[in-house]
Amino acid sequence: MEEYAREPCPWRIVDDCGGAFTMGAIGGGVFQTVKGFRNAPVGVRHRLRGSANAVRVRAPQIGGSFAVWGGLFSTIDCGLVRLRGKEDPWNSITSGAMTGAILAARSGPLAMVGSAMMGGILLALIEGFGILLTRYTAQQFQNSSPIVEDPKQLPPKEEARGYGQYQ
Amino acid sequence: MPVSVGSYGQQAQPSCFDRVKMGFMMGFAVGMAAGAMFGTFSCLRIGMRGRELMGGVGKTMMQSGGTFGTFMAIGMGIRC
Repeated sequence: MEEYAREPCPWRIVDDCGGAFTMGAIGGGVFQTVKGFRNAPVGVRHRLRGSANAVRVRAPQIGGSFAVWGGLFSTIDCGLVRLRGKEDPWNSITSGAMTGAILAARSGPLAMVGSAMMGGILLALIEGFGILLTRYTAQQFQNSSPIVEDPKQLPPKEEARGYGQYQ
Repeated sequence: MPVSVGSYGQQAQPSCFDRVKMGFMMGFAVGMAAGAMFGTFSCLRIGMRGRELMGGVGKTMMQSGGTFGTFMAIGMGIRC
């Protein structure tokens, strides 16, 4: 998620909230289609109706959960950017941990600590793989430089012609 | 995801399908890693050991990777 161009800070919150909702609603719709299909009574029409009902009821709920998470995460992220004055992976990791903690507040302090750890670890993994991916694409650019050297294949052809003349 | 460099005309912006694919791969990797960590913790707490532990953690990794990959692929898709 860090790889695309993100909007400046105040509007990022709205953008991420909407994006998270869409992602959750579509993804949830995909999974609920399968789950509803399997839970429905036997019969093609029953199963199709079961799928549609499950999607209609559950997809908005899943989207809502994603929107809450995404919106809160972005809010904290922007707050940290403002406080620290710089933007780096630590902002995302801290925001993930704090979001997890806040959303588990109703379950008590112990659950908050657990959720904070899970949120932080998850964001750390995302940042880590993002950095690896950036390096991978950088190497791809270096590997693409042989294409520029294609014109240098002309001299060997000339030599080949010379060799032909020699024969 | 890759940044398009202006000096190379051949390096066009990757297609939507490529971006979705990249999103799924990245999400799958993150999900697998997360599944490995949390799955190991869960299975050890239940009391799994040896081959049973490997099976349980592997299953968690696949589930987590699949779910996470799907959601990140969709996330990439809606931003094309």
